[in-house]
This record gives sequence, structure tokens and C-alpha cells, in this order.
Amino acid sequence: MHQQIYMQLYTGITVQPGQDLYLKDVARLEGEAESLRPLMSVHLYSISRTDKTHVVLDILTILQKIHKQFPEIDITVVGPEQTVIEVTIEKKLISPLMLVLVWFLLFTGAALAIMNFHEDVSMLAVHQKLYTLVTGKQSEQPLLLQVPYSIGLGLGMILFFNHVFKKRINEEPSPLEIEMFHYKKDIEEYLADTESDRSSKPWQSKLYSPYSSD
Amino acid sequence: MAVEALFAIFIGLSGGLAVGSGLVAFITVLGIIPRLVQLTKTQKAIQAYEIAVITGAVIGSIATLHDIKGTFPAVLTIPVGLAAGMFVGMLAAALTEVLNVFPILARRVGMEKNIIVLVMAIVFGKILGSLFHWIFFVKF
Repeated sequence: MHQQIYMQLYTGITVQPGQDLYLKDVARLEGEAESLRPLMSVHLYSISRTDKTHVVLDILTILQKIHKQFPEIDITVVGPEQTVIEVTIEKKLISPLMLVLVWFLLFTGAALAIMNFHEDVSMLAVHQKLYTLVTGKQSEQPLLLQVPYSIGLGLGMILFFNHVFKKRINEEPSPLEIEMFHYKKDIEEYLADTESDRSSKPWQSKLYSPYSSD
Repeated sequence: MAVEALFAIFIGLSGGLAVGSGLVAFITVLGIIPRLVQLTKTQKAIQAYEIAVITGAVIGSIATLHDIKGTFPAVLTIPVGLAAGMFVGMLAAALTEVLNVFPILARRVGMEKNIIVLVMAIVFGKILGSLFHWIFFVKF
């Protein structure tokens, strides 16, 4: 019986170590409902301790596993040829100490950096000049200008990142979220291209697969 | 004499051209204006924003090169300072964003979920560092 089935690999899958991966976990399938059900539970791979952080499954390995059980099924693949699966090592909570440490590091660094920047561009002289420009008076320390300036500094950064203490100004993704997304995508792309498919270790590159028909 | 004057005009004009285009390129690369447009949903006012940047730059350069004095009350420096600070803050934020600081850092220390905590650390650091600078540091 000839059945046409379409398959699309998911991206951005996360699993726990020791978890078994079935076809339904890594791909979307489209086709006749009765023929899909047994396909969904085709076992693909078990995540082991040695898999560290990422596992790459490529489409040929997946097809090989499927055809071993259902040789007569014809699958058309839509989309990417491999999927990068992230292994989330048991979520050990970041220790509060670590958080405080990193926080303090960034805090101090930011404070130092802004002071360096101010000295670098002679911000004080500019502020004094600006004060004179507006009021006509001289001031060694125009705090009336400088305190709002400092507050505005923080406001501007929050505005740019679209976060007011976790509350959104609007629903569009912030540049930071887009940047995080791109960074994750880059890692996945790199891994997909460099990491060998861990699930297909018996399948040596120059040798024929023991399961393949020719 | 006339030749010298013409030459001076030429140098001034070309210098201004280079600096001005550099400033615009800098602001464009950092994407501050698109960001503000996106936040305020004012796509139609882009031309007005361009004019704002240009007139601001021109007035700023005239004010630094010549002694211009206004006679406004000192309270008026509060909105000026606030706006100046917000602009520098956006510059700083855009710069860290261009340099990919947060995604890398958050991933390294395993705090992708708490990335906002890291951002707030930098924000508060900037505010307090700046306040410290103006109130105490400059007196030394």
C-alpha cells in the first residue's frame, strides 16, 4: 500500500537527560490519520549522559529508523534537514550567591564605565556649557541639569530594551529578545553544521548503512 | 585675502560635512530612531525626527563654538538634562546590544531566564555611577 506522508522537523527542542525521543517529539507529520499513529511512536534515540548539551539528529537517520519498521512508507520531507536538540541538564537553580556576584560585577562595571565615558568626552564641561546656554549663569556643578541627566540615562536604557521592571510598554519583542533568539539560532546552526549526528554512530560515513537497501 | 577666506570656508564646510555625516551614520547604525518610532508607533513622523536630529546638531555645534547665552530660569535645565541623559542611555543600550553583550553573558552564567536582572544591574550601575560622578567625584 502506498501512503504519502509529509514530515517537518521541529526546531528548538529541549529534552531531559535519559529521555527517549520518539518521532512525535521531533517532527510534525501530515498524512492519513491511521498511518500516522504508529509512526508517531517510532523510537529514534535515547539521550544519554555522554550527550552533554546538544544532540543533532539528521533527516537520513530519522528516515532510516522509520523505514526499518515501515519499509513501505513514502515520506516527503519539508524544511530543515537536521534538528538540534538541546539537552537541559537538570535545572540546578542559579545560586543566589552567584547571582549577587554577577549582579555586583555588572553594577560596578557599568558605574565605572559611565564615569570613564563622562571623563573621556568631557561631559562636565559640556554640562556647564549647556547650563550657561540655557540660564546665562555660570555653574561649577550644575546639579539641576545633572541629576535629571543621570535618571534619564537609566530611563533611556530601559526604553531601548523595552522593559520597565518586567512590565512591557508594548508587545513587540525587544531588541534583547531578538538578539537572544539570533544568538541561539547561531549556536544551533553551528552545531548542525559541525557536530556529527550522534544518534547515527554505527553509520560510518564511507560505509553503507547496515539497514539501507543497497 | 579673498582667497584665504574662500579656503577657510572650504575647509570649514568639508570638515563639517565629514563630521555631520559621521554623526548621522553613527545614530543610524545604532538604530535609536527606528527604536523610538517602534515604541511610539509614529512611522509617519520620521521626517520630523530627521529634522530634529539635524537642527539639534547644528544648534549644538553653534552653541559650543560661540558663546551663546539664554536667559531662561534654571528649572528649564531639568527637562534638558533628562532628555540628554535618556539619549546617552539609549546610546549605551544600543552599543551593548550591537556588541552582543547580554546574550553571551546570560548564556555563560546560565541566566537566560533572568536576563532582565542583568540589564537592571547595568541600568542601576549607570544611574548611580553617574550620580556619584556629578555629586562627589568631580569635587576631588
